[in-house]
Amino acid sequence: MKEQTNIPTGKVERATRFVATGVKVGANYLKHYTKKLIDPSTRREELHADNAEDIYDTLSNLKGSALKVAQMLSMDKGMLPKAYTERFAMSQYSAPPLSGPLVVNTFMKTLGKSPAQLFDSFDMQAANAASIGQVHKARKWGKELAVKIQYPGVANSVRSDLRIIKPFAIRIVGMNEVDMDKYFDEIEGKLLEETDYKLELRRSMEVSAECAHIPNLVFPVYYPELSSDKIITMDWLQGLHLKEFLARRPTQEARDKIGQALWDFYQFQVHALKRVHADPHPGNFLMREDGTVGVFDFGCIKEIPQEFYVNYFLLTNKEVLKDEARRREIYTNLEMIHPSDTEREIEFFSGLFQKMIDMLTLPFTREEFDFGDEAYFAGIYEYMDHLYNLKEVRESKVARGSRHSLYVNRTYFGLYSILSELKARVITSEARIADLTNG
Amino acid sequence: MDKAPIREAYIKYWLEHGRRPVSVYTFCQQLEMTEAAFYDSYASFDALEKDIWRAFFEETLEKLKEDETYKGYGVREKLLAFYFLWVQQLRQHRSYILLQKEKYLAPPLHLDKLEAFRIAFYDYIRELIKDGYQTGEVKERKFISDQYVHGFWLQALFVLQYWVKDDSEGFEMTDAAIEKAVNLSFQLISSNTLDSILDFGKFVFTKK
Repeated sequence: MKEQTNIPTGKVERATRFVATGVKVGANYLKHYTKKLIDPSTRREELHADNAEDIYDTLSNLKGSALKVAQMLSMDKGMLPKAYTERFAMSQYSAPPLSGPLVVNTFMKTLGKSPAQLFDSFDMQAANAASIGQVHKARKWGKELAVKIQYPGVANSVRSDLRIIKPFAIRIVGMNEVDMDKYFDEIEGKLLEETDYKLELRRSMEVSAECAHIPNLVFPVYYPELSSDKIITMDWLQGLHLKEFLARRPTQEARDKIGQALWDFYQFQVHALKRVHADPHPGNFLMREDGTVGVFDFGCIKEIPQEFYVNYFLLTNKEVLKDEARRREIYTNLEMIHPSDTEREIEFFSGLFQKMIDMLTLPFTREEFDFGDEAYFAGIYEYMDHLYNLKEVRESKVARGSRHSLYVNRTYFGLYSILSELKARVITSEARIADLTNG
Repeated sequence: MDKAPIREAYIKYWLEHGRRPVSVYTFCQQLEMTEAAFYDSYASFDALEKDIWRAFFEETLEKLKEDETYKGYGVREKLLAFYFLWVQQLRQHRSYILLQKEKYLAPPLHLDKLEAFRIAFYDYIRELIKDGYQTGEVKERKFISDQYVHGFWLQALFVLQYWVKDDSEGFEMTDAAIEKAVNLSFQLISSNTLDSILDFGKFVFTKK
């Protein structure tokens, strides 16, 4: 049948498909890391040629610090060629299909009934891929439904994959093992949470209820009675993924509305809920021309601890940052300055952080911000590149940044990159954030 | 007569005692049947054990053949559906199978316990392969394609072994193993990969 007659063609494509489903332990991995071990200088080029983007994503997050954020951002545009970035984005919504019998088997095992018994109609052909499974279209009660099915054994492969890459990762990133552990724990925890569909269902329902008041956001209704630990059933949302949406040349007004909705959504989560949908990749949003945006997939939620929250957002406060002693204290609290740092290193890294923070928090200091401003992003990328090439940065063996910053940073960069693609003009004032939080 | 009650009683005996009945005589007493009646169905416990494996297989196949979706499947999907259901079926008798495992898993000598199952399985696979020629899912290759059945038998043994050792929740790793093993096998026998391998092999061996 169709699923299997077309074997994915390109090597990269095939491999990304594997990666996307959790069948990560493959020859590509080993080849990739072995090559890198032998010749570290080929790093970026090799990465392009090879296909470990998912791992690279993980790896580039590993130092987690504001500095390593450089690499995170690069995932979107900077260091990686645009074509490659697009392929990577695509890989997030095209994984190898589960076979029909496996889908039926999953239903029988977890819900005790076949899809034909549960739904009025059920499309055996997957509509698209979720990060660790796939989505089928179904009909029931006169409604179109999206049924997300998880690939069996994903949780197991997450664990074994991380075990496999860990020793390599330590070598590549050049960090000491103890420091690395805190990031690995964080990543492993989050990845494992993503495989827990029961948890995801609960969170999806909670977060969508809590954010229902934000204008122009659309959340699907979830159906717990048609869900299990391997299956989530929700309303089928209309709309287009970012790339296709932009290809239709939406109006500035629509783009602004969507941008605003996403901005509000994230600020509300971070500041009011203190937990955030930490996976803002384009596959999780469906945009429509009337300026509304559908949001789903709450598999990856980062709970933000109060202590971290306070320190992190003090960074956006210009007054506080003027006070040298206070600033250092914050950096230390956020683990951006390592206890083993010499005075010279503190001086050096503080300077770098300051410059970058100034750049990255610019939208927060304005009433309104135009994310279509290419000069702004170009400036950031340039600085990131500059940082990345600094000898001191590359040779620093310690981890900078608390484990929590890993996913919070990732969230903000994901958001920025979507807003920048949208070229949205967004009201970013503190007053608006305060309104949202209190309202 | 119907052999199913004898099979069930035998499995039950194993579950309760963890070993074979001492003799056909004692076993028959529990079953309240005469020894002669037992021999009408089975010549020995060995024959009975073989037949239990065959019955697991036949029951699976019967269920599949009733299923409407199964009929609409392609060959690869049929085989997948078979393994999934077979493993489900075996699950009901997991304890019995684990008790017996050294008899059919470890030394290849004892594979004869699966003999009756193997013969039935071969018939089933041959039929699938024949269908596969028509749908184009299986490529016909002179001499070679007759050997496919052996490959699929090894695959079935692999699935069985994997399942016996599987300790994941709901045996989900077995599901993943089945999916991967079947996909791999069909990619091999449908694409040109196998031809290239054969061609290469021929080249290497005939060169000198």
